[in-house]
Amino acid sequence: MLTLAVLIPLLAAAVLALAPVGAGAARWTATGAPALSLLALIAVWAGGGEGFRAVSEVPWIPTLGIAWRVGVDGMSLALALMSALIFVAASAWPMELHHPRSYYAWMAFLAGVSIGLFVTLDLIIFYVFFDLSLVGMYFLIGRWGHGEAQHAALKFFVYTLAGSLLILIGIIVLALNMPEMTFDMRAIIDSPPLAAAGMVPGLIFLAFVVGFGIKTPVFPVHTWLPPAHVNAPGPASAILAGVLLKMGTYGLIRIPMQMMPETFARWALPLAVVGVISILWGSIVAFAQDNLKRRIAYTSVNHMGYTVLGIAVAGSALGSEAARQMALTGAVVEMIAHGLITGALFLVAGAVWQRAGDYHLPNFGGLAGPAPRLTGAATLAAFASLGLPGLAGFVAELHIFLGTFAVYPWLGAIGLLGILITAALFLRMIRQMFFGDMPKERAGFTDLTGTETALLAGLLALVVLIGIWPAWLLELIDAAALIPALGPGG
Amino acid sequence: MIWSLAYLPALAGQAIWALGGPRGRVATLALGAAAVTLALAVAVGGRTGAFAWSDAIALQAALPPLAQAVAILVPAVLGPIILFAASHEDAAGLPRLLGLMLVFTGGMELIVIAADLVTLLIGWEIVGACSWALIGHKWRQQAPGLSANFAFVMTRAGDLGLFLAVMATFAGAGRVGYDALGALDGWAQALAAFGLLLAAASKAGQVPFAPWLFRAMDGPTPVSALLHSATMVAAGVYILARLHPQLSGAPGFAATAMVVGLGTAILGGAVALRQGHAKKLLAGSTSAQMGLMIATVGAGYPVVAVLHLIVHATTKAALFCAAGLAQGVTGSFDLKDMRLGRRVPVAAALAGVAALSLAAVPSLAGGWSKEEMVKAVEHAGPFWTAAMVIAGGLGAAYATRFWVAAFGPGDDDAPAVPRGEIGALSALALATLALSALWLPAVHDPVASWFGIALPEGSILGQVASLTAVAIGVLAGLRLARTGLEAQSRDWLGLPELYQRGVIEPFHALANTFARVDDAIVDLIPRGVAGIGFAAAGRLSRADDDAIDGLAPVAARRVGRGAVALAVRSTEALASLGAGIGERLSDLIPTASGRLTGMAGADLRGLQTGLAHHYYTILTVGIALAVGLMNFGG
Repeated sequence: MLTLAVLIPLLAAAVLALAPVGAGAARWTATGAPALSLLALIAVWAGGGEGFRAVSEVPWIPTLGIAWRVGVDGMSLALALMSALIFVAASAWPMELHHPRSYYAWMAFLAGVSIGLFVTLDLIIFYVFFDLSLVGMYFLIGRWGHGEAQHAALKFFVYTLAGSLLILIGIIVLALNMPEMTFDMRAIIDSPPLAAAGMVPGLIFLAFVVGFGIKTPVFPVHTWLPPAHVNAPGPASAILAGVLLKMGTYGLIRIPMQMMPETFARWALPLAVVGVISILWGSIVAFAQDNLKRRIAYTSVNHMGYTVLGIAVAGSALGSEAARQMALTGAVVEMIAHGLITGALFLVAGAVWQRAGDYHLPNFGGLAGPAPRLTGAATLAAFASLGLPGLAGFVAELHIFLGTFAVYPWLGAIGLLGILITAALFLRMIRQMFFGDMPKERAGFTDLTGTETALLAGLLALVVLIGIWPAWLLELIDAAALIPALGPGG
Repeated sequence: MIWSLAYLPALAGQAIWALGGPRGRVATLALGAAAVTLALAVAVGGRTGAFAWSDAIALQAALPPLAQAVAILVPAVLGPIILFAASHEDAAGLPRLLGLMLVFTGGMELIVIAADLVTLLIGWEIVGACSWALIGHKWRQQAPGLSANFAFVMTRAGDLGLFLAVMATFAGAGRVGYDALGALDGWAQALAAFGLLLAAASKAGQVPFAPWLFRAMDGPTPVSALLHSATMVAAGVYILARLHPQLSGAPGFAATAMVVGLGTAILGGAVALRQGHAKKLLAGSTSAQMGLMIATVGAGYPVVAVLHLIVHATTKAALFCAAGLAQGVTGSFDLKDMRLGRRVPVAAALAGVAALSLAAVPSLAGGWSKEEMVKAVEHAGPFWTAAMVIAGGLGAAYATRFWVAAFGPGDDDAPAVPRGEIGALSALALATLALSALWLPAVHDPVASWFGIALPEGSILGQVASLTAVAIGVLAGLRLARTGLEAQSRDWLGLPELYQRGVIEPFHALANTFARVDDAIVDLIPRGVAGIGFAAAGRLSRADDDAIDGLAPVAARRVGRGAVALAVRSTEALASLGAGIGERLSDLIPTASGRLTGMAGADLRGLQTGLAHHYYTILTVGIALAVGLMNFGG
């Protein structure tokens, strides 16, 4: 079933690449493929189960312990579901394009590798998908972006590729240190290698943190993100923020936290500090941006900072187990919530670009008059992003802060400032865009179309549902099962 | 059932907003929703509810008498305000205004029924967000948007206190229910108590948060009336009263509450006394009155504070409606232009009832509850009582001044016919009159026993001092209304200016600096690393060709066939789809990963034979390769 969820979009990509279909058909193919994946994933979810489920394995290179292994636990299933959903929305988002067929081929390709990354249980496959996601995004930004798209795409590609090479080194060392060489995630999680203190585990941990940290991104390796977002087309931005960034934090949980828990616990505090710095730096720098997309992009640094903080707390082996579970639950919910919310915000930004060809906030104003639906969607998404209760972001941040405070009280207290600054920056953005006088050049600005409204409403309905009744999501994630068993102090 | 108290008005409000329609229909629907909420508040007393999020967090609701009294108050005050809004405000935007006021009410009811800190936090912030939307209701103008943002950020700064309280309670007790709050001790207890006090002070417009109440005056008058009576500011007092049993044990809590409350009562009184803007005068008075209530909670009489909260709600809502009505006649909120006694005699009389109650003149409701507060504070000591008496005198002065300046007999007697606002004003003034029955023991004794408390006993000296201060205050107010004092008054003793210069502008500068640093310096990391790496990579990769590739060509080939094959083939196939530059880049993946995997294969043997130094070589070479690649990004 999971293999199917990966293969359908990849096949769709191949079909789109080779078969001469029209733009409309291409769009529906690229939308339908992740929709089918979504159904397959929902079927897996409905099947229930504990731990890794829907596992299947096809031997590939037995001598090196590499195989096509798929299977999901609550976290990866939740992330894969969210990714498939974002891909459906992003592919269906109406666009005016040159070469639409190749655009949708890359979309479908990216959907396949992204879902594949979350459902695979083999580290080499994970690495391959990790890199292939860069390729897909590189082309989407470089070919269909605007402004300095080529340069931004190249910077994104090379920066994250450099990170991925560090990850590869780490993966290989992990595999080599197993009693019998294997890239099977389950085996490595069950008997984590490199338990001893010392230089080697520390360096490998560093390689993982830097590699995943670039992808996440955290301060100070985040500078590829703003140009990539600014120049990317709206739906590609939504995918970049909604899905690709999660690969970094997902990897951080899956590999260093679960596969080298002792080392992780030793270095949890510095990692938590990096998280808090990202929270503050991301929000403060976002506040100063006059470019709509740069502002949203920097809030991603802020939100992924919350996630990293939650992950660091979860792996710290300090405090009560309840607190660590709380933090990890929060981190995973933050990934889902940020995917949906920031995905929606970037789609809104895409809608603004299609109508105005401009992101400079001071050039806007008064759009609530001609575009009430756009205003409503943007306001709801902005409030969700600033962590308003009743919306998904609050559930995530509440869990992260409750867990953090019980483990690192000072970091929790300092990190709280982030929610105040994000409130200021989002309210400022809403006011600049939608309230006050409308500049003359915005005359004729049109509201969201039916399709756009429906897509945004779908994403935001889920944001509201998670915000009011998160029980189903928390149960699915089941953070208790993710935290490696460790005595206090590692 | 108990939850419907919160979600019913919220859903009804959204429906009314979405449906829209003519003035009459919208108002009727909104009044109906308020009436149903009121009926629910009466019906669900004593019930509890729970809604589980997870094993660790369950939202809980309860409605003990103190909460029920406030739960009834909110829709009861909302009703007349809806009436006022429907006749006073523009028809365009009225569905949104009334709808949001109902959502706002739902948020307030959630605060009232909350029985755990997370539920409280949810209601708390929803109320803040609704107030943002309500203050910025007239979004086409510049000022309301700015003021709405200011108010939201300022109150959210206080909300961080509530976040801290939730976090401390969870860290200390592992739960977040109100019962867990009472079980805390040590630093967790202190943090929770002072965090809640901070949050309450910001919502209730206490010093130093008071200026947001002035900015909130950019919202429509009905919003001010609602915000200053039974919701938002009332939430701050309510929560301190509700949680008094759990909080009073924290060392220093009572004294701090009294300092904050009485300090704001005196400063707010002085601010109100000097204001020339009708709504801002009332806003300063709200801060002062909330301060009196917070001090009463600090003195250990939460029920007395809530009784004054109820009396104050009807009084203040009436006065805001009166101010809006006066502005409708003169076109501005400037007290100098008013003196409408001869033009709107009925409204002037009704406003007079409310003003006398606010002045705490005996026989009116405000007089009773204020004297009860004086008696309560007497139990804390003479110093506090003296401050309370002074604040009471100031209250009498600004209330008198407001009424004389706004509704005193003027020269102009051309009758101005106010529209249906008069109905709302009479309802609220009559409610104030009805509450004046609290002076009768036959009324206040059963009320006290319903709440399960004994009313405070006071001394004769205290009562005499208090009433004398009120009398002096009334006389001073009469005099001030004639002479005028407002000319030089800065808003809230210069606090807004302090925030502008001391917080907002420095933060903007800081953010701009950080943004420049981010572009110019943090971004040097990839560029700098690329520069250094360029040289190093060249040398290292030569060394690596000589040293490592020579060792194990067989293993390298084997791994190359396996792990990398997929990357090679798929990226090459895909690259052919893309543009030229992309093809070259995609090739980097197979090249780089091929080399690395090859080396790893070689090292497999090395490690197994104990040649650990190869392992470090791989690492170094890998990093060097990585940074070398960054050259492409430079």
